[in-house]
Amino acid sequence: MNPITYALREIRRRRYRTAVNIAGIVIAISTLITLVMAARGWETCTTVPLNSIGTDIILYYTAPLKPSGEGCYIVNHLFSYPFNQSMLNDFESVHEVERAVPILMHRLRAMVFTGIDPSETETNAVLPSSIIEGRYLKPDDRYVAIIDKEYAALMNLTLGSTVNYAADFEVVGIVDVSATNIMKSHIYVNLQAVQEVLPEQPIGLVNMALIRTNSPDTVKQAAAVLEERWPDTRTITGSDLAETASGLIQINEETAWSISIALAVITILFTAKSQLGNVAERTREIGILKAIGWSNGNVVNQIVTESLMQGAIGGILGCILGYIFASYVLFTIGGELGGALKFVSVDPVLLGVGLVIALGSGVVAGLLASVRAARLEPVKAIRTI
Amino acid sequence: MSTKNVIELSNLTKTYQRGNASEVKAVDDVSLKVVDGEFLTILGPSGSGKTTLLNLIGGLDKPSEGTVILDGLDISKLTESELVKVRREKVGFVFQAFNLIPTFSALENVEAPLAPTKMPKNERIERSQELLWLMGLKQRADHLPAELSAGEQQRVAIARAFANKPTVLLLDEPTGNLDTKSGKKILELCHRASKEQGQTVVAVTHATYIRRYTDCLLFMRDGKLFSQIPQEEFEEAE
Repeated sequence: MNPITYALREIRRRRYRTAVNIAGIVIAISTLITLVMAARGWETCTTVPLNSIGTDIILYYTAPLKPSGEGCYIVNHLFSYPFNQSMLNDFESVHEVERAVPILMHRLRAMVFTGIDPSETETNAVLPSSIIEGRYLKPDDRYVAIIDKEYAALMNLTLGSTVNYAADFEVVGIVDVSATNIMKSHIYVNLQAVQEVLPEQPIGLVNMALIRTNSPDTVKQAAAVLEERWPDTRTITGSDLAETASGLIQINEETAWSISIALAVITILFTAKSQLGNVAERTREIGILKAIGWSNGNVVNQIVTESLMQGAIGGILGCILGYIFASYVLFTIGGELGGALKFVSVDPVLLGVGLVIALGSGVVAGLLASVRAARLEPVKAIRTI
Repeated sequence: MSTKNVIELSNLTKTYQRGNASEVKAVDDVSLKVVDGEFLTILGPSGSGKTTLLNLIGGLDKPSEGTVILDGLDISKLTESELVKVRREKVGFVFQAFNLIPTFSALENVEAPLAPTKMPKNERIERSQELLWLMGLKQRADHLPAELSAGEQQRVAIARAFANKPTVLLLDEPTGNLDTKSGKKILELCHRASKEQGQTVVAVTHATYIRRYTDCLLFMRDGKLFSQIPQEEFEEAE
């Protein structure tokens, strides 16, 4: 008799007990996958938009700086109030700040037109790595632009074409900017060119600063110091983005793993208890097997095989259910936070880990139960009714 | 018949503790020799210690005192794992309650003692089929125990006991759950198979009609063995 065939028959014979064991494993594994993927989705939503442009903080002004004043053209067409570019040096004087990069982002109807400093290649509204055709901007460029590939396709623009936005700009590059990029624009040009061509010529003015801190651990502190020293400024960090998605599971991966491991331990104990009940019900049968020459090893092997098979069935079902739940959660988070989760799918490695945990639970539970089976004395076990 | 001793019991005693520290001697100072190929039957009333004696001979239980030498090996001093080997290679058990595995077919039940051995699967199946044929159960090989009559179940149990070609076959009330006709058939099969396969048989039973098939009859009462069988034993049974 093959141990697997024997195990399958026992599983069939004890349908209810098996179903309860498998249900426990399914709940543990599907919860693990759902929680961990929710945590990863959460992290993606809160870090990718900033990380994709190499920044930790976006800084802007919430009150007008004199003499620009409210009501002027630039305030109406910029995303936030402008401030002097020279203030970037002041921001960099904050201990936790490593680099402050200038941005002048301008909007006219549905068009977003952004001025960048091309010499900043680590932190910027668009990075050289996004170029798919042509070249990135150079510091001495004036009337040339790089454009988003979707905008290029929509407007039928290619390299060498001209885009008009307060002036004519020759297209020298096309970029593929991810939907997760919070600074996604239609046209990117040299910062000085924007300052020169916009009405009122905001020379020396910018309206955002991308702040790179010296360590991921100092982001919160840097943001607090900046807002404290310049009270009219506001900062956006990953944590702030997290707060925009209220009502969702806000959990980090470490916590998700802790909860999942606790669940796995509970499942092991639960399954082991159930398997002990199984062994108790089969005391006589185990006694007979020992009486006819089965060793403790043979009996342990059989009990563990049965438990392992329950773990395998529970693991596979748990992975399927976990995949469905996790996909739904990611879809829901993505719906609330925009396209940031387009690129997050259920990690196949996590499914593998879930399956391994389920199989491990089966083996441990089987081993715990089989200790009792191994201790049974055949002569006493056979007398059991 | 060979004169080699297959079973040698010397001053064998098995004591059980029962409540309030009182002791019960299930087997009391029993000494016995059974030679190769012999069919020995032990008669006796319930609670006389017959099953305990059989369990001691088969290595299912350990004696409190005395020794059990089985096929030249003192099994009273063996560890549990060594006893497993003895039970696997030297002993075949038939129990009163059949004790078949309910989820195994008749064929699988016969094969069960061979499963932990190194015998190839096809040989195991061949051997099991042969034994079922010997027991007249060839057509019932795929049936589960629940689908077999009591007599058929006991025949499967006997086939299982013969599977590993044991040196000693131990029959514990083999006809206890059967009517007289089926019981006689079972004993006839055991007798024939043991003679054909050359096994030594020790049977404990109430059924006095077993004397037709046995080489030696002993009587057991209160844990002691007697060679004289009280006449009332036969009168009560027959």
